[in-house]
Amino acid sequence: MTRPMRFLVRVGAMASKEVMHIRRDPRTLYMALAMPVVMLLIFGFGVSFDMDRIPLVVLDGDRSVASRALVRAVSAGHEFVIAADSDEATALRMIRRGQALAALAIPADYQRDLAAGRDGEVQLIVDGADGVVANQILAKIDGLVRAESLRRIDLAAEPPLQVKVFTLFNPEARSALFMVPGLAVYLLAIAAVLLTALTVSGEWERGSMEQLFASPVGRLEIVLGKLLPYLGLGMLQLLLVVAVGAVIFDVPIRGSVALLFFVGFLFLAGMLGQGLFISVVARSQLVATQAGALSSLLPSLLLSGMLVPIENMPRILQALSSVIPARYFVHAMRGIMLKGSGLSILWTDLVALTIFALAILALATTRFRRKLA
Amino acid sequence: MSTAPAATPGGTTMGIEAGAALEAQALVRCFGATRALDGLSFTVGRGQLFGLVGADGAGKTTAIRALAGLITLDAGRALVLGRDPAKGGVAVRESLGLMPQQASLYPDLSVAENLRFFARLYCLPRALFRERSARLLDITRLGPFLDRRADALSGGMYKKLALACALLHRPEVLLLDEPTNGVDPVSRRELWALLHELVHDGMTVLLSTPYMDEAERCHCVGLIHHGRLLLAGEPRALLATFEDETYEVEGGEREQVDQGLASLAEVHAASPAGATLRIAVARGSAGTVAGALAPLAASLRPVAPNFEDLFLARVRQEAA
Amino acid sequence: MSELSIEAVHLSRRFGSFLAVDDVSFSAARGEIFGYLGANGAGKSTTIRMLCGLLAPTAGEARVAGFDVKTAPESVKASIGYMSQKFSLYLDLPVRDNLDFFGGAYGLSGPDFAARADEVLRLCDLEHERDAITGSLPGGIRQRLALGCAILHRPAVLFLDEPTAGVDPVSRRHFWRLIRRLAREGTTIFVTTHYLDEAEYCGRIGLMVDGRLVALDTPAALKRRYVPGRVLSVRGRNLASAAASLRSRPGIIAVEPFGAGLHLQVAAENWNADSVAQALASAGAQAVEVESGEPTLEDVFLAVVARPREVRHD
Repeated sequence: MTRPMRFLVRVGAMASKEVMHIRRDPRTLYMALAMPVVMLLIFGFGVSFDMDRIPLVVLDGDRSVASRALVRAVSAGHEFVIAADSDEATALRMIRRGQALAALAIPADYQRDLAAGRDGEVQLIVDGADGVVANQILAKIDGLVRAESLRRIDLAAEPPLQVKVFTLFNPEARSALFMVPGLAVYLLAIAAVLLTALTVSGEWERGSMEQLFASPVGRLEIVLGKLLPYLGLGMLQLLLVVAVGAVIFDVPIRGSVALLFFVGFLFLAGMLGQGLFISVVARSQLVATQAGALSSLLPSLLLSGMLVPIENMPRILQALSSVIPARYFVHAMRGIMLKGSGLSILWTDLVALTIFALAILALATTRFRRKLA
Repeated sequence: MSTAPAATPGGTTMGIEAGAALEAQALVRCFGATRALDGLSFTVGRGQLFGLVGADGAGKTTAIRALAGLITLDAGRALVLGRDPAKGGVAVRESLGLMPQQASLYPDLSVAENLRFFARLYCLPRALFRERSARLLDITRLGPFLDRRADALSGGMYKKLALACALLHRPEVLLLDEPTNGVDPVSRRELWALLHELVHDGMTVLLSTPYMDEAERCHCVGLIHHGRLLLAGEPRALLATFEDETYEVEGGEREQVDQGLASLAEVHAASPAGATLRIAVARGSAGTVAGALAPLAASLRPVAPNFEDLFLARVRQEAA
Repeated sequence: MSELSIEAVHLSRRFGSFLAVDDVSFSAARGEIFGYLGANGAGKSTTIRMLCGLLAPTAGEARVAGFDVKTAPESVKASIGYMSQKFSLYLDLPVRDNLDFFGGAYGLSGPDFAARADEVLRLCDLEHERDAITGSLPGGIRQRLALGCAILHRPAVLFLDEPTAGVDPVSRRHFWRLIRRLAREGTTIFVTTHYLDEAEYCGRIGLMVDGRLVALDTPAALKRRYVPGRVLSVRGRNLASAAASLRSRPGIIAVEPFGAGLHLQVAAENWNADSVAQALASAGAQAVEVESGEPTLEDVFLAVVARPREVRHD
């Protein structure tokens, strides 16, 4: 048998053994396939930044045709419901108790001011305890009130200027569209790192590493044999996550599906390599699990641009995020799924992911010392 | 597969003169403050069955791992077929079979799957694998348990499977770390018969054991203590160096006999052996001891010394 | 000494279609060391688990320390000590803390217990190791500590399941001295082992084959009954091929390679040392020396348990 043949046979032996481990241990399959889907559903449905049916208290001091029109305009959509039509004291009490999130106060001379051509001023009182919520309410009310004022202008005469807003790529501003690609990255990262982190440290703990080291199998053969099955599993996981995103959350794939999976492949190789590196160094499943979770969870959650736009980060974190593969994958996923971007735009992401994968796998192989002690 | 330096032909007897299969040259390895190997040296000739015996923590496992190239050495050199196992690469490892002391197989894989995995690691062609595994399964009587998971095997069966996995590629040199722990006497005897057969066919076997009766089954025995070799040689020849005389004490009340013996400086060791008591006394002092035991209605019966007597005596001398 | 600590009557245990223990009856007197031998998987551990009240028998009954294992398993558990091959000590704790922990498991505490723990340390020769971290101690000492933990509550019956596997001879002798002392003081010992030189320490031995108790007697009586032949040990050169020709001759019961030599078991009426030496020499062996030896319990075990099997020499 030639040397390359032997290499392939041994990689194949390691890989098929790994497949048997996976099939024997349902926890691995759960971690790889079920957990990301369950998490995606929980996050997708539970952690939505889209707010609707926001309880609003109306303080209508004017009680005029114009004020009623404004209230109708605000409550016409599904975004706000009128929790009460009352006075200021009640409104504050309700906000304090969480029965309402905002109050809209219309002054007594609202209609008169409008009729006189003066600006009609309304006041919005918002529960600012949750900044994200408060910002959304402000934006929504602002939009509705603006629309109402445009309508009023329209009623009187042809408006001099009309603003038509088009939100590109995500016209309904649904956070699912924004979140699912990011979430997919985050879930893939955790699962991939944990999968391989457990497998090499498992060899140490079982004592089988001693037998492996005494056999002709090389370090690269062990690393590749461990990598390939999980790469396959990871691709399956990616497919599942993208499918759930498309079917349940209506997340489109506007770009090339092939490109999406190719980027996914590069990202997974890097993440699996990171897990290998951890378990080569850690030698214990417990340590490897903790290090694996920590090293994949936090960076891909906080530094990938999934939650916080990278442009908004302090400079030092921006620099840090440039070595986090999740950053490039999030960018590429959103690009491909939402914008339909192609290679001409995403090639930098591909290069970055390739460099990371090769570097971490080389590091894992060289740090893999063929010694028990 | 053999690319080792040419061996001197005709090493038929205890062949140290033949090209050594295994050499430990002043091995030193410390773990923290303990010197697990403290200048350990010995040589195993080709085709020899060498037994490394010693107490727990004497350094047997570390020595075997050093010879397999699995640990870094602080000093000294280990050689397998004339080459450094740590640097020799694939060629050395293909000529080596190792059966570690602790569990080293895959618990979730079946007997057949474990065998197939190791066969593939050694790139064994399918036909050869089928032929060899059939033979090994026959010898180890694991045939009926092919589909049983390794973690459901009894201790003895597990050991036999580990041995079968280490033998699939017909290594020139076989390293066995306490292969008979927890193995029942029938399996143990079969395992020994298999080892003798392998050695007869030309394999070199180094095994470690805490059991002295097993040491006597080897061609050559090395007694290791605190990481050093206390003595080495053919078991019978070593036994001939035993200075004490051994006796069994017959009769008498055990408590009284124990107390009577404890007060005698001539008695170097006393241990129960079944219903009787086995003692080692200084050469020529049997009369004195017999005289002391006579009032207790106990008498001495001479018995041949065994390796355990020798081992205990040498460890005692070392401690003194 | 006549009072019975263990009584098993027609004890059986079935797992599905597999009969692990098949109609086993025996008894052990107070202070007796009872050895229980058998191949891996012969049913030894299942028997122990039933006698310890951990596993209900499917048929038959057993009384341990006066309690029925079926109806009063908790009383059985409280009056026995159990030490397995894989004794579970806390390796990160000092020796004395392990005793405290296992004492606590039996509900022992207070000044009486402290005195007992010190007594056990003395008894097991662990006084010097009392503050040592358990994990740093060699196997032989850990094994004595495991024994100490098992006898803290002064059990009437002590079950030892392969207690000396992998322990060196010095430690094993030490261990057996402790066991004998406990037996002398009235503790009944029920022990399984694969090391038949140890089994010589037992008062009586039961031999298990495939779930059945096929022999039960003192070591000496077992040897007389099952090893009627002569045991010879042979040295010389070119023995292997000569032995192969000897093997087919009548009266040769067993031929086994032993180091550079052979161990033979032969029928006393056909063979003696001289005739064996002659036969080997004429088959091509040189410098043959034959010595007669004593039969061992291993010979007994093999005679009872072993399935005959040819050793190939070609």
